[in-house]
Amino acid sequence: MTSGIIFSIEEFAIHDGPGIRTTVFLKGCPLRCTWCHNPEGQSFEPEEMVKRGERSVCGEEYSPEALSAKLLRNEGIFRMNGGGVTFTGGEPLSQSGFLVSVLELLDGRIHTAIETSGFARKEVFREVLGHLDLVMMDLKMIDKDRHRKWTGVSNALILRNFETLASSGKPFIIRIPLIPGVNDDEANLEATAALLEGIPSLQRVELLPYHKTAGAKYPMVFREYDPGFDTEASPRLDISPFERRNIKTMIL
Amino acid sequence: MIERLESLRQYLLDKKHHAFVKTAAETGIANLNGRFEKKGVPDQMRSAIVFKEMMRCQEPVILPGEKIVFTRTVKDVPFIFTDSEWEKVKTSHYIHERGTVSNISPDYETTIRLGLGARKKEVEARLAKGDVDGQGRLFLESVLVCIDALQDLIGRYETKAREEGEDDTADVLAKIRTDGATSFREALQLLRALHFALWAADNYHNTLGRFDQYMYPYFRHDIDNGILSEDEAFDLLEEFFLTCNKDSDFYPGMQQGDNGQSIVLGGRDAEGNYLFNELSRMCLKASYELRLIDPKINIRVDSKTPDEVFEEGSRLTKIGLGFPQYSNDDVVIPGLIRKGYSEEDARDYVVAACWEFIIPKVAMDIVNIDGLSLAACVKKALPQLKDSPDYESFYEAVENEIFKEADRICSRHKDLYMIPSPMMSLLMDGTIAKARDISLGCRYNNFGIHGTGLATAADSLAALKAFFFEGKRFTAERLMDALEHDFKNDPELKDMLRKEAPKMGQDNDMADAIGTALLDSFDKALEGRVNERGGIYRAGTGTAMYYIWHAKDLGATPDGRTAEENIPANYSPSLFMKQQGPVSVIKSFSKPHLQRVINGGPLTLEFDQTVFRNEESIRKLGMLVKTFITLGGHQLQLNTVSREELLDAKAHPEKHRQLIVRVWGWSGYFVELDECYQDHVISRIEFNV
Repeated sequence: MTSGIIFSIEEFAIHDGPGIRTTVFLKGCPLRCTWCHNPEGQSFEPEEMVKRGERSVCGEEYSPEALSAKLLRNEGIFRMNGGGVTFTGGEPLSQSGFLVSVLELLDGRIHTAIETSGFARKEVFREVLGHLDLVMMDLKMIDKDRHRKWTGVSNALILRNFETLASSGKPFIIRIPLIPGVNDDEANLEATAALLEGIPSLQRVELLPYHKTAGAKYPMVFREYDPGFDTEASPRLDISPFERRNIKTMIL
Repeated sequence: MIERLESLRQYLLDKKHHAFVKTAAETGIANLNGRFEKKGVPDQMRSAIVFKEMMRCQEPVILPGEKIVFTRTVKDVPFIFTDSEWEKVKTSHYIHERGTVSNISPDYETTIRLGLGARKKEVEARLAKGDVDGQGRLFLESVLVCIDALQDLIGRYETKAREEGEDDTADVLAKIRTDGATSFREALQLLRALHFALWAADNYHNTLGRFDQYMYPYFRHDIDNGILSEDEAFDLLEEFFLTCNKDSDFYPGMQQGDNGQSIVLGGRDAEGNYLFNELSRMCLKASYELRLIDPKINIRVDSKTPDEVFEEGSRLTKIGLGFPQYSNDDVVIPGLIRKGYSEEDARDYVVAACWEFIIPKVAMDIVNIDGLSLAACVKKALPQLKDSPDYESFYEAVENEIFKEADRICSRHKDLYMIPSPMMSLLMDGTIAKARDISLGCRYNNFGIHGTGLATAADSLAALKAFFFEGKRFTAERLMDALEHDFKNDPELKDMLRKEAPKMGQDNDMADAIGTALLDSFDKALEGRVNERGGIYRAGTGTAMYYIWHAKDLGATPDGRTAEENIPANYSPSLFMKQQGPVSVIKSFSKPHLQRVINGGPLTLEFDQTVFRNEESIRKLGMLVKTFITLGGHQLQLNTVSREELLDAKAHPEKHRQLIVRVWGWSGYFVELDECYQDHVISRIEFNV
């Protein structure tokens, strides 16, 4: 079976799904969102990192068996607290072979969730979806040109996968990183809210306001943080487009 | 918080009431000891006379808006011996800390119910019985002196209240001067007077025990009879909590804030009922609103405690006071029974000043008499490493050192002398009947020993097991040489031990089993030992300030720790362990046989303040606590801190006067701590979830 590259495993992840959860960060992402706060998750290869003056290699190879065994050590605690495991990244769908193997080993034992940009081939998305209990998916921008400008990719695949998700009946949460001057405008939020209206399996929308500490990790991987917008500005926090449509909204 | 209390809180924080304070010297009572020496006054009566003079010299003051009165106006308590007398006492006796009775849980309940008048009659009746010897007579007379002195001060407060037109307050004082309390307000006022009296009697670490249980009947009475609304009762409760912060600058402790004013909420009774009532809930809410370091809140929980209690507790954790601290009835009660406490007494347990489990009313345990450094025992065994054929035989050498250290420690506590405490005696069970001062003992007279450096010891042994005995990656000579040079000559070995070796707190079964074995050995080393008061010795997982003292002489350790680095406080992982996360920590630290280390000492988890942004995060913190309890952890304390804020507070103390942190078993104001404690708090682990 394919092995995977993991760049972090975090216990007691509070904002990544229900109950007590462990979040697994899969390395590598096809998007290049300029505000990305996990730059070490972008490259698919292990890379050198300097943290508090200490050099280390970021990215470790796991076989599906090793990862699932590690996660299953806390099976009892996950069950006790309605929790489980959340896969994030990077973009976890980019290592779908590995991910599916891990999910198969966890099936029926642990509640599983994913945090994804939704950027993946349709077949991949469908296959992974079938193994999950909860999906947390980003809808960063509805306008395809702006999406390409700020994330480096078109949102055509994302929107198509969103349709798949919305019609699957699988419980899901939509996450919107609110970036000042990038996607916090009324038009984008209106368009997003319109897309989300009346979907019964949508649990809620979570807005993640941008914070300037997002750039903190760039020096650790020897890169400069240059997101192309005013990093001192605070995003507009307007939830009215969602409220008007009776969509439950939370600011994280 | 209502405006009256908001202003009173600010008044106290601004320390305006200190304007009324005089020193003992200014009131003319500083030199009582000289007179005692000249006249040959027995120690028992000295304590009573000093107390009487302390009461006499108090100036009754009613602070703006106060309904619950009593403010200390004499700063220091005169010592009963002269310097030369005390030196003499010390040469022939073991003296614990300051020498006065401390760190026990008094019986306020009985006196609040019966009243000082009835207690006085009880003492008089005991005196009138023919069977009292000379010592007993002196003791009972000394108690009467204390009661009279306290009643006199209550009377003067009553007069003051009348003068100021505070008739409600005056009526309450008139009642409680002799009678037992009927209403919640009377009960709180009498509790305040008794608590005040203990501090003025030079007792310290005066805990408040199961406040939500013994005050509940009065609370219920007033609510049921329409005397108080819930809101009014809440205001009185908040005001009582405020009184705990009034005089605390004058309370003795190792550091400012270490004053032991703990209260314990909840707990399960013999019938299986979980005793968390409206008053318990209100206590959490009052503490949340007041945001002050006293009283320090503990909650007794178990695996069946409703989620609500963990959530309410977490809400309080969030604001960063360093409490509540949780203790697990499922572990503590059987653990206490195992050590010889009766089931009934064990079910009534509370925590002492910090975390030590004690029994209110009936225990004169000295729970912090000494500390045993487990890390030092590993260190002392190291010369035998080169001749040890396998890990098991080396561990035997370590255990042998633990036994030797226990021998040494237990032989130290001979001819204990404690200064008589007639006021405290009045508030402890059986003293009047036996006509003996509490300083001489009570139903339980056990001694507690802290176990320090557990993680350092366990990690050192885990490193040796994995890399020396199994991996054969270095020789004994190389290790000894590196330790002697504080790893300066061998950074490679240091890195291997420090970064690669398994550690307790990573949910590593091998390292955790070693931690378990060490605690078992510690308990075994104290088993069967009897102290001179007929009590037993209890092993514990707390460190108190020993984590600073024991780190000093330790030198470098085989876990890769250098000589100048700290050891963890209490029952916590190494300060430089590679974190797997809080779930691994609670798993590791719930594996040992914690019923065997019933002197207590909490696992401490520190979180970044920003973690708890919303209700969901508070609920999840509650889940984490409950999980630790369900897994069989004995005691847990959580702290929310922000590293940036601490660093800034160190640099600019004037901007952070109100910053509260948990230090070892108590919370204090960060800027008032000595630098070594500040640095330890900063270096402690912190989860950025």
